[in-house]
Amino acid sequence: MNINRLSKLKSFFLKVSHHVTLFIAMSIICIPGLWIVLNSFRPTVDIMAKPPVWVPRGLNLDNYRAMFGGAGEGGVPVMQYFTNSLIISCTSTIIALFVGMAGGYAFARFRFKGKNAIFVGLLLTRAVPGVALSLPLFIVMAKTGIIDTHFGLILVYVAMNVPFTIWLIDGFFRQIPPDLAEAAEIDGCTRWQAFWKVEFPVAKAGVASAGIFAFLTSWNEYALASQLTRSTFSKTMPVGLRDFTSEFTINWGGMCALAVLLIIPALILTFIVQKHLISGLTFGGVKG
Amino acid sequence: MIYKKLPQWFLLILPAIIILAAVILIPLLFSLYSSFTSYRLTRPDTLFNWIGTFNYEKAVKSGVFWAAFGRTILFLTIALNLEMFLGLGLALLVSRVTRGQRMLRTIMMFPMMFSPVLVGFQFKFIFNDNVGLVNNALQSLGLSNSAIPWLVDEKLAMFSIIFAEVWMSTSVFAILILAGLFSIPQDPQEAAKVDGCTPWQSFRHITLPFIMPFIFIAMAIRSLDVARAYDIVQVMTNGGPARRTEILWTLIGRTGYVDAKMGYANAMGYVSIFLAIFFTIYFFKKLNAARVELGMAR
Amino acid sequence: MKKSLIQLLLSASTCLAMMATSPVLAGDYEGVTIDAKLIGGQQYEGLYALISNWESATGAKVNIVSKKNHFELDREFKSDIAAGTTDWCVGSNHSSFAPQYPSLYTDMSPYNNADQLAGFIPAMIKSSTIGGRLVMLPRAQFDVSVLYYQVSLYEDASNQSAYKAKFGVDLAPPITLNEFKQQAIFFADPPNFYGTQYAGKDEGAAGRFYEMVVANGGAMFNADFTPAFNSDAGRESLQWFVDLYEAGAVPPGTTSYLWDELGAGFASGTIGINLDWPGWSGYFNDPEASKASGNVGITVQPMGSAGIHTGWSGFHGFSVTEDCANKEAAASLVTFLTSEASQIAESAGGSLPTRSSVWDVVVAAADGDEYRTMALNAFKEGAKHAFAVPQTEYWIEATNLIFPELQAAILGDKTVDEALQDASDAVDEMMQENGVY
Repeated sequence: MNINRLSKLKSFFLKVSHHVTLFIAMSIICIPGLWIVLNSFRPTVDIMAKPPVWVPRGLNLDNYRAMFGGAGEGGVPVMQYFTNSLIISCTSTIIALFVGMAGGYAFARFRFKGKNAIFVGLLLTRAVPGVALSLPLFIVMAKTGIIDTHFGLILVYVAMNVPFTIWLIDGFFRQIPPDLAEAAEIDGCTRWQAFWKVEFPVAKAGVASAGIFAFLTSWNEYALASQLTRSTFSKTMPVGLRDFTSEFTINWGGMCALAVLLIIPALILTFIVQKHLISGLTFGGVKG
Repeated sequence: MIYKKLPQWFLLILPAIIILAAVILIPLLFSLYSSFTSYRLTRPDTLFNWIGTFNYEKAVKSGVFWAAFGRTILFLTIALNLEMFLGLGLALLVSRVTRGQRMLRTIMMFPMMFSPVLVGFQFKFIFNDNVGLVNNALQSLGLSNSAIPWLVDEKLAMFSIIFAEVWMSTSVFAILILAGLFSIPQDPQEAAKVDGCTPWQSFRHITLPFIMPFIFIAMAIRSLDVARAYDIVQVMTNGGPARRTEILWTLIGRTGYVDAKMGYANAMGYVSIFLAIFFTIYFFKKLNAARVELGMAR
Repeated sequence: MKKSLIQLLLSASTCLAMMATSPVLAGDYEGVTIDAKLIGGQQYEGLYALISNWESATGAKVNIVSKKNHFELDREFKSDIAAGTTDWCVGSNHSSFAPQYPSLYTDMSPYNNADQLAGFIPAMIKSSTIGGRLVMLPRAQFDVSVLYYQVSLYEDASNQSAYKAKFGVDLAPPITLNEFKQQAIFFADPPNFYGTQYAGKDEGAAGRFYEMVVANGGAMFNADFTPAFNSDAGRESLQWFVDLYEAGAVPPGTTSYLWDELGAGFASGTIGINLDWPGWSGYFNDPEASKASGNVGITVQPMGSAGIHTGWSGFHGFSVTEDCANKEAAASLVTFLTSEASQIAESAGGSLPTRSSVWDVVVAAADGDEYRTMALNAFKEGAKHAFAVPQTEYWIEATNLIFPELQAAILGDKTVDEALQDASDAVDEMMQENGVY
């Protein structure tokens, strides 16, 4: 009886401490982000106030209104940036997935000389820091005339994402027994048909998780984009954040408002695919 | 009909190779060449002024360079290990939750959605000594009555940038380790419970070996793109004050773009590339070893 | 204030209407498109709104391809030079940055005769002429730091008597750098109130140090550009920064502050005296934005031990690239943007003109506005002591070697002597490597 009560008490404490730790951890994760969201609704005077204003007051949409406003009112071409970001991120993600699927399939299904070396070689291209790459890349692009275009940035992001995509997808195809596709081929499918009908559906979760990583990388990239984009024609959202820093001042409220617009699409997308992400990763990368 | 003669596997990886060659390899060859010249951005003709290994010798002899080099390794080691342990803890916490897990997982991934440059601005402001959130909170709660110079003090400045980096990237570890936790078969754990193993024992001998490969994958992924932290550091301290937070990337960025000394910057850049490659290969080896242990060798 | 602003704008627009028919702009540039890379930010936008007038007068079109601050523009210009993509036409320029781009910009003198240039303050034209080439024309954005202070500090009776008792002199806004330091330490009550603050990083820190060195009778460089700041004047100047920091008279984060943090700092009402730019004067006295409003005093900047006032100054301008397809049209745009009428319109926003005649207009417009008049008097007095940065292509690079050493001394990582020795050695090596001597 006594022992029973003790263990009950113990499990109760464990439960409480679990919840408390979880709450603290989630708070640390959320507060810096939510603070940005809150500031996007506050006047800059309140953000900078000393002594601090803890209870939010005078919340308004001024920062958003100004951002969408004209040039003289602190407006920035948000919609243009948003469209640029969307076009560039989506296109480069899709291309990276196709290139990655082709590559991943090759590594999973074929035996050839130097396979491991090529594989690691491809992966290592991702290890090149953007700051070391940005200028030579800029010069090459300027010479070929694709500077300040969607195409140029898409190309760069495909290259950034392909190594990781290949790696993840390779792991998935390894999961699928080769007999499965072979059986389909015996049933009269071509290899191409067998791939789409049998192997692709099984690997879908992996493709989804590779996709979300690729999308988030391109959506948030700054170091290269700031170098390779020039005008509103190709500037992306993260580069647009810099529009709020001028020679002498930083417009915090405005920057936070743009940041909120930057986060929302990523948040929605992640929420939708996170189930696939977990199951995708569970199968993928490891067992390769 | 040449393509028919090429093996199929080669055709399949060809697009990847072409794109990577165009976007990464060609620029890298260019910067390799320029690292042997006295190339100044503002004087394009200096690109043809071959000076041999002068830039490398200069880097090797430079105290500033080695200090930044050491600080980068310190930064990477601390940040990656912290991210791993916190990620592991977070994944364990979340995996025990039965209700509302979907919500929690999304919250857990929240920082992944932040652009590194935004994270930089965010924490630059949070750690501001005069009107920053942290100091305001400490002062309002009466825990401190001075303006703590988070971004100035030698240790606190490193702490602040590491905090920002850890905040942003722990999610990647957590999500991958969580995936690993879900992939563990239930039977061995049940068996362990029946055999009277303590939770720690069953974690140590059953759970941990299973999620080890996931940890190394996460390590490899993170070390591949850890240079994204450049955006954060550049915005928060830009290596200052008095070079207390100078890491290789900020040093390279300033030397190359502000001082316009691209040749020298590229020479240092190559050192940082080798550093990144070393870290990645190291975790790769670990990953393969862990796979072998679990009988999943490729 | 409001009324005078409207008057100014009115007079500006009539001037513009006149200019549209004046011979300066008579060139017909129908169908020409001028690509421009301009400095962005609230205080600079007003002028760009006038561009449409030039467009309709000449038939040309202006296409602003990028709008950034000067540090970002600087990066962009440098990579443009490297890639050879310099066929855009008009770029924002700054006197401190200009010497870095020896090949980028064309000589403007063929497009401007002596009469046209005579309207500018001669010193500005001199600083805009690099290696005998007039590389830019200044706009109405002239900067020299003057002394801002909180009036109430000096009117407070207990402050007055305590100061008198301690130092034996009456409390008044400082005339020398030593007094400045003494008062800053006297007023300081950390962490709630600081005597002063200073730009602690980047070119800002090196620039402040530079003006102190000059004010204390030294120089940054000798005539052959060997470093000269490792001198008694250099030590005295750096010691000034160190003393303020050690005494806790400045915010502990000051070594990570640049102009935006400094402006916000004084506006928060927690800084006693402050060397800062003219562009802030309106902001500091704006009750909506500043806690110091109604309590702001402005006077000429103090002088150093050599009896010379500080006066590190700079100004913004516009340049035309060497590779521009239609340099004549581009030069016409620059002439327009820096014309008397444009400067009148721009300085109505509070910035300082670079034409003597516009000064008179600005002063006249401030008539009856006590604060603005005080500010303008201080600026006018301050501008007399203004001097530009050393004219070397390697100034910015030198500042990047100097400022971390200054920080090291301020934060106590190095002694003043060590820091100056290290900075001097680094600059010396850099200059030799670049073949300056």
